[in-house]
Amino acid sequence: MSWRIGIDVGGTFTDVVAIAPHGAAYLAKAASTPADQSEGVLQGLQNLADAAGMPLATLLAGTERIVHGTTVATNALLERKGARVAMLTTQGHRDVVEMREGLKPERYNLRNTPPPPLVPRSRRFGVRERLRADGRVETPLDPESLAAAIAAARGAEAVAICFLNAWRDARHENAAADAVRAALPGVFVTTSSEVLPEIKEFERFSTAAVNAYVGPVVSRYLGRLGERLIEAGYGGPVFVILSHGGVAPLSDAGRLAVGTALSGPAGGVAAAVALSHAGMAENLVTFDMGGTSTDIALVTDGTATLGRGREVGGERIALESLDIVTLGAGGGSIAALGANGTMQVGPRSAGARPGPACYGRGGTEPTVTDANLVLGYLNAGSFLGGAQRLDVAAADAAMASLASALNITPLDTAAGIYRLVNARMADGVRVATVRRGVDPRGATLLAFGGAAGLHASAVARDLGMRHYAVPLFAAGLSAWGMLRTDLRFEVTRSVNAMPGDAEIRSLFAAQEADARTRMKTWFQGEITATRSADMRYGDQVFEVSVNLDGLDWDAPDIAARVKSAFHAQHRALFTYDLPEDEVVLVNARVAALGRLSGDAGRMPALPPEAPARRRVFLGGWQEVAVHSFGALADGASVTGPAIVESATTTILLLPGDEARMDGRGWLMVALPPEGESP
Amino acid sequence: MDPVTLAVLDNRLRAIVEEMGEAMLRTSYSQILNSSRDFSVALCGADGGLVAQADHIPVHVGALRFAVEAALEQFPTPRDGDIFLLNDPYNGGSHLPDLTIMLPVFSEGQRCFYAVVRAHVPDIGGATHGGYNPGATDIWSEGVRIPPIRLGEDGGLREDLIRMLCANTRVPRDVRGDLMAMVGAARVGAARVAALLAQHGHSSLMAAVEAILDLSEAHARRILAAWPDGSWAGEAILDDDGHGRENIAIRATCTKTGSDLHIDLSASDDEAVGFVNSSYPNMRSAVAMAFAYLLDADVSKNDGAFRPLRVTARQGSIVWANEGRPVTLCTSHPGNEIVEAIIRAMQHACPERVMGGWGRRFRVAIQGRAPGGKSFVWHLFHARPGGGASANGDGWNTAGEWHSAGGLKFGSIEQAEARFPLLFESHEFRANSGGEGQYRGGTGAELRLRVEAEGTALANTAGDGARHGSAGVMGGQDSQPHHYVLRGADGSARILRTKEVGVPIQPGDVLHLQSAGGGGWGDRARRLPEAAARDIEEGYTA
Repeated sequence: MSWRIGIDVGGTFTDVVAIAPHGAAYLAKAASTPADQSEGVLQGLQNLADAAGMPLATLLAGTERIVHGTTVATNALLERKGARVAMLTTQGHRDVVEMREGLKPERYNLRNTPPPPLVPRSRRFGVRERLRADGRVETPLDPESLAAAIAAARGAEAVAICFLNAWRDARHENAAADAVRAALPGVFVTTSSEVLPEIKEFERFSTAAVNAYVGPVVSRYLGRLGERLIEAGYGGPVFVILSHGGVAPLSDAGRLAVGTALSGPAGGVAAAVALSHAGMAENLVTFDMGGTSTDIALVTDGTATLGRGREVGGERIALESLDIVTLGAGGGSIAALGANGTMQVGPRSAGARPGPACYGRGGTEPTVTDANLVLGYLNAGSFLGGAQRLDVAAADAAMASLASALNITPLDTAAGIYRLVNARMADGVRVATVRRGVDPRGATLLAFGGAAGLHASAVARDLGMRHYAVPLFAAGLSAWGMLRTDLRFEVTRSVNAMPGDAEIRSLFAAQEADARTRMKTWFQGEITATRSADMRYGDQVFEVSVNLDGLDWDAPDIAARVKSAFHAQHRALFTYDLPEDEVVLVNARVAALGRLSGDAGRMPALPPEAPARRRVFLGGWQEVAVHSFGALADGASVTGPAIVESATTTILLLPGDEARMDGRGWLMVALPPEGESP
Repeated sequence: MDPVTLAVLDNRLRAIVEEMGEAMLRTSYSQILNSSRDFSVALCGADGGLVAQADHIPVHVGALRFAVEAALEQFPTPRDGDIFLLNDPYNGGSHLPDLTIMLPVFSEGQRCFYAVVRAHVPDIGGATHGGYNPGATDIWSEGVRIPPIRLGEDGGLREDLIRMLCANTRVPRDVRGDLMAMVGAARVGAARVAALLAQHGHSSLMAAVEAILDLSEAHARRILAAWPDGSWAGEAILDDDGHGRENIAIRATCTKTGSDLHIDLSASDDEAVGFVNSSYPNMRSAVAMAFAYLLDADVSKNDGAFRPLRVTARQGSIVWANEGRPVTLCTSHPGNEIVEAIIRAMQHACPERVMGGWGRRFRVAIQGRAPGGKSFVWHLFHARPGGGASANGDGWNTAGEWHSAGGLKFGSIEQAEARFPLLFESHEFRANSGGEGQYRGGTGAELRLRVEAEGTALANTAGDGARHGSAGVMGGQDSQPHHYVLRGADGSARILRTKEVGVPIQPGDVLHLQSAGGGGWGDRARRLPEAAARDIEEGYTA
């Protein structure tokens, strides 16, 4: 055994979590460096080495695995700083990506204007070719037309090849890709059938366009990171976490760069899955509250659901990704009197610059963090372990202007911000869970990220939940989660029919063989595979994802069994099924998993200390005990009202909360019956 | 009322309608609901006033109170557990395909709210599949009329009534599934409101609702007060009624005084023989939609925001037909023209807020047999028209009509080709279709669709705008109108009119459809040369 290191680059901080050979876990942070994220990564590693008391080169030489989450692709999309892309597409269909299926955002805003397309129309070139839906060639790929399009594409850094019905047969796309590579060496080339071999042209073309847009940037970044790590003394593998929560080797992540665009919150969900498996609870609702937004995901029976069709920077990415709902409110969200005359929290945020008023960097508007400080929930002296002093006077002053607009006291304003943001979070969780057919009351709220610990109790009470939990790792849970997830490689085929018994058996077997073969090039250990399908009734438009793992694939009536699995899933999701109706298997999916070994690690306990006292406002001022999170002994219990805090996390236990320190580093909190929001 | 509690309850009420919408989306059966999202959910007050509505289909905004009022007229003393249903355009509905479910919510023995769900079902009987019947000259040819009925009581449903309703549609299973989803979504809303009433108490929640409506009213009035006072006229012209009458005018006179706006549609032309008449609730809804478009997107869509608005119209006119006239097209036409006439009038009051016209709807439904004999019905959602330009810039290409404004999705070409005997030869932006101006209207589309049915297929059309394009405003130009042509494999060409029944299509014929763009905003002489050059480079103009 040797060290394992997880690195999560966030908007403000780069979190580094390491688990030592003997199981001790360390968390270090460094400021993120947006211009070149690898600088912050190396600084974080240096801080980690310092915390572990050894030279960085020694630490890296003893490290067997690094798992990395990066926001390079996400930022390139949000800031529109990706590559210059050209698109080669079926003649007569070059506007698929700009038509956006006729949809526009903001229903009642008819004065917003269309965003410039990622690939402008003047760089989308039609090529004479056409396949039919059943794979027959309607028009052969015309070499002259292809050559003209390639000549026109010259000057682009990346080329996306997007042909109609390539989900059925990729030969035209592949031939065009070969021609582009030959004619334009050094250009990043991607085809829609490679990125997303599924029916539905808008989803596939858009995903391929995004891949071309971020591919060169992500490849360059990952290449640079790999070099820096080698220079620093590391010789082992680097894995990158992808949108589906699994990880892939550095080189593959660069080729399917679009898969990293949704990977930001994936580490936290991977952590939740691992915590569920470790016995925290079967059903978890993750509550990852950061500076500007809050991510919510569901883990049911130990499994995170995958969803599709998310957008980043307004661009559709149809890859399977963890089903995460983002609410536009976090610690930095600004409270203000809205245009409609009611008090609002968010969506405007003070961001990292200037940050909340109490950071003393020029912010003057009241934020959620300012309210938490005014109410005594945050410790002005020990925020981020003392690295960031908080200015109470500035927070008070920020409250005052809103207070006069509302005609209430500044203290009531702070309490109001706290109450309103909690209500928004609870409503957000409720809508997100209803959408997925889950009742949140049976689940445990898992709080992590900088700000969640102060709001978890109030949000859980509002939702009628009975339990919430905060791990010691709360501030670096995403990085930790990266160490707890598996290698994953997916093979998908669109079928768009209901195959017979022999056909369906060989279809899945062939895909599984492909997936396992690829996984073997990544990984020497034990490989498992998981099968699923997207299915629908004949006349429906939406597919339902059906897990096919439990089936006996040797059964002679396997097709009928697959169908019944679909009927059952449809019933579970939508309350009814239609056994008499035609069933269509749209996409067959197989994922090969390489299980990465290693234990969960445990942060070394701090020496026990007597609780401090602090005045907090809970309807009235009262003094409560302040416990050091890291110093709580296994089995120790704390009754609310109380505060539990560490250098990176603060937890507010409301009156009646019964918290118990679990032996695995989790603070497990039971809420009193009939809990009420303060 | 303390401002924090008010803010919390305002959020809660919005979250409730959002949750109702999610429940509807998740459980509805038919594609028009779960994919195209042609439904609306709302909470109304005890007397029907809109309290909160989720952002779904704009043409439903402001219409739901008429449904509740009609139900109340029929059932003045509703009981806890009642479930009401209607679709009759002459009794609180908009047009027949839109069913409306209403559940009253009680607290301390008093009626406080209605949870309301309106949804467009895929078929409601009548002479043609899907309800759009250009041949109809009365409402009885359009489908089943349901005046307000008590579909259930004590929380249970009347199965006999549901069977009767389903027996009158061509897709009974879809309609039953959709109806169950509507009831389910309304129940979710009713249960959430009941919990809120229990938590906060009847009187304080009702006081909060009043305060929220008052704030919305003040918000709307602040915006209106900034415009100059005056009276202005605007007009929009329907192509025809499909029965020989052409150029039917919708005329709006808008009078703004202080923070009040009076919209008078009385000068509109008389009602028509064909289905381009509007029901009264649909007219009111179209006016509310135009008003909402002129305000800011963040003005809460509730009764308070609409208080500054007074509406006058003449019964027997095209915008308010006498009972018995056919009305199925009204959510599109004259719904769109009502909006356009108002926007044209208001360009003089708030030039920075008006927008060029959004395209008119021109639908085609094809019925036939696929090779092999399986019958099919396909509805055109492709070849969308363009959106109008505004003071902020050019319009959205192919984003659709006033009534949905970028909210109706067209499906995948690949999926359509896999399921129907169709080949989409090309589907791209239609150059020069957007109205010119300082800001250009969005482009429409050009679609070449080869039909490969077995034997003769039949097309029905329903729509408008083959003669009149989308209106330009502030000196901007009108867009190109729609131009649909059926090109025979034998070289023949037949122009499709907007209201036809049973047009024969032979195997190999191509529908060559060019849709309208959006209207321009401002004088084209003021268009920046760079913008004009970019239009040429990108091929938006040729």
